[in-house]
Amino acid sequence: MPNQSGSIYGLTILSPIKDKQHVKISPSLAIRMYLQSLPVDGRGPFGKVSSTHMARLVVLDDVVYFGMPSCEEHLQSKYLIFESNFDGKLDDYLTRLATEAKEEVDGIWQHCIGYPGLENVPAFIAYMKRCQVETTFYFADVNDKTVQQTLRALQTQSAVASFIEKNQGKSSADLQKAFVNFSNRLRNTAPPEPGSIKGKEFTDELV
Amino acid sequence: MANIYGKAYAMNTISPMKPWKTYILRLFFFIWQHYKPLGNGLVELSFIHFARWVIVPRYAFPRLSDRQPKNNLQYDYLLFFSNFNGTWNQYIDAFSAVLFKGLNLIWRWSEKFPGSRPVTPFKNFIVRGQVETDYYYTAYSHAATNDVKAAHRVQAAFDDFERLSNGMPAEKFAEAYQAFLVQVQRDLGETGEATVGT
Repeated sequence: MPNQSGSIYGLTILSPIKDKQHVKISPSLAIRMYLQSLPVDGRGPFGKVSSTHMARLVVLDDVVYFGMPSCEEHLQSKYLIFESNFDGKLDDYLTRLATEAKEEVDGIWQHCIGYPGLENVPAFIAYMKRCQVETTFYFADVNDKTVQQTLRALQTQSAVASFIEKNQGKSSADLQKAFVNFSNRLRNTAPPEPGSIKGKEFTDELV
Repeated sequence: MANIYGKAYAMNTISPMKPWKTYILRLFFFIWQHYKPLGNGLVELSFIHFARWVIVPRYAFPRLSDRQPKNNLQYDYLLFFSNFNGTWNQYIDAFSAVLFKGLNLIWRWSEKFPGSRPVTPFKNFIVRGQVETDYYYTAYSHAATNDVKAAHRVQAAFDDFERLSNGMPAEKFAEAYQAFLVQVQRDLGETGEATVGT
């Protein structure tokens, strides 16, 4: 199934944007302005839906004309492209979007044709599926790890490097004792939140 | 800039194709899906987290209401989305240098595709078809693709070492620890802020 690579789902959605004449701010510009105001880190809509590895939103104003001898043509509607790479099943993901990032989803898709709102989640899921286009070829470099597994691994990698650096030259007994303490602390520490920009400083305190 | 977040760059391109040519491209993708040479090439490049090609037939742009004007398109469209590390120029240069045969097979069906070598006309083609990203999110913005793969190797080695060294006498532990260090040493690069590129 081209929409999937291993345990990762590649979702591509094209939602037609409303076309309103005689308004000060067109719906496509309103989407762009709203997106500009959203935080891009874990406080944004996709950080809230923690199974999202990477996602983007793009306003497609029109198709592109590459010059003669090809023909010039135009879309009759602008489209909002939603591209997401996430863990698990499509219905679960869309349900989480509708419930955990409700305000942002509403803020974005209210400008799109046929958007039913979020009062009725199955109607929202059906709407998104009507806008879905199938991926023809999908590539995921790491396709068997969840977001949380990756965040945990990055935390471990950083913490192990710090541990090695700070425990050079210790006696075997002291090293073993330090390692046991360290591995217990590491196990009992939650991985960073998705979208977190914390790096080495976060793991230094574990060592 | 919304195309970039942390160490990842979100690229989007769109190019028109004559409808009869899309069947050929679909066949290539079908073969690659099953025989993997393109996927292997992308894995070897090792700076792409996720990438996809989507063929949208001329009649398949969603139309959800009778009041929505009907498209009247002659071309099908090839959309390409990539999440890569490094700069735009590095990405296109590497694609052109390493995957030129695969790229030619993908884009030669698009109108006015000049070939992926020499690289300058290829870059002009990409620039023409590129659409800016309005919002971009990554869950691990401080990590490049190689960091992610290295981190998973460290995690696996750490889990094994922790399990095997549990209850070992101190001298044996020190020996096993040395072996663990040798195993993970090349995967301990530090993640963090991305360097500034163009």
